[in-house]
Amino acid sequence: MSLLNPLNPVLALIIFGAGAAAGGLGVALGLGGGIFLVPFLTLALGFPLKSAAAISLSTVIATSSAVSARRAGNQLINLRLGMVLEVATTAGSLLGGITAQYVAETTLQRLFGVVSMLVAFAMIGRINRRNVIADPTADPGRLGGRFYEEESGGVVTYRVRRLPLALVASFVAGNVSSLLGIGGGIIKVPVLNAWCGMPLRAAAATSALMIGVTATGGAVIYYGHGDLRPLLAAPAVLGVQLGSWSGSRLAENTSVKWLKLLMAALLTIVAVLMFLRSTR
Amino acid sequence: MNRLEHAIGVVLRVGTVASSSLLAAGLVLALAGYRDAVARALLEVGLVILLATPATRVVVSVVEYVRERDWTFVVLTLVVLLALGASVAAAYL
Repeated sequence: MSLLNPLNPVLALIIFGAGAAAGGLGVALGLGGGIFLVPFLTLALGFPLKSAAAISLSTVIATSSAVSARRAGNQLINLRLGMVLEVATTAGSLLGGITAQYVAETTLQRLFGVVSMLVAFAMIGRINRRNVIADPTADPGRLGGRFYEEESGGVVTYRVRRLPLALVASFVAGNVSSLLGIGGGIIKVPVLNAWCGMPLRAAAATSALMIGVTATGGAVIYYGHGDLRPLLAAPAVLGVQLGSWSGSRLAENTSVKWLKLLMAALLTIVAVLMFLRSTR
Repeated sequence: MNRLEHAIGVVLRVGTVASSSLLAAGLVLALAGYRDAVARALLEVGLVILLATPATRVVVSVVEYVRERDWTFVVLTLVVLLALGASVAAAYL
């Protein structure tokens, strides 16, 4: 793997560009960029999945911190629910990080293929329920929340239902996160939105805060094993920061429906490529 | 806005700015091929700050919940911290 060692300006530039593209696409769709960055690094640049996952996890942490710092204070992030679910995600990511050291590369590739396919399906069929109670004085319960909703121009309330299901989804998200180098929001957000009563924006904001801690569990393990190289992580992190910053501007002017269809198509291609590679 | 949310915002902002600037400086130096050791140190410290930022946010939460005497959440956040500690242990043992 001579690609991974020396200082190579062209490689750094390519990784930076890939990070920017992945971050921009991710923000436009409300995901981290990992689901696009990992396949690019493995399929186009030939990185082993472990290094790709490690690099991607560091960008997940960067995105989580940057996005949540910007949002702190507008009540969209449900801190109490986040702290509860983090117990499950960190347990999941700890387990995933340890098993990743023993799982074969081809198994990881197939798993990535399956997850990409599932995400593609979820993206096409995602129900966008609002889940809010328009009465700002309604009791949100112990874990629910209340925030100012721009669309309706008023303060809305929501309650959290089916906490055990949210915990299971968070555990799975944490596990998949450190195995594959993605944030895991793609699993949590649809579950929290469709079954646990959270409005989409609150679910996405809370998930974005949690993925920082989730990804840290996995990233630290890769770092300790020497799979996370600062020289390769740096351009990816900076690229994703730039991409997600400009992506949030771009997202406002694009039709969400077409964007989702395009992404679903892209993810299907990624899944097929991952499967093909795993059989070689 | 509650104190915890404000404190978390500050921690995340400082961590993001510090780690991004160090990584950018290290990367530029490394690519310019100038003083390899300095570039490496900047990149390494930047990456460690990046990894430490979410953990610091959890520590701040523990402290704030202790202050509020909200023991359920003190326990929950401590468990998260413990799991992160276990990851560090798994990385080096």
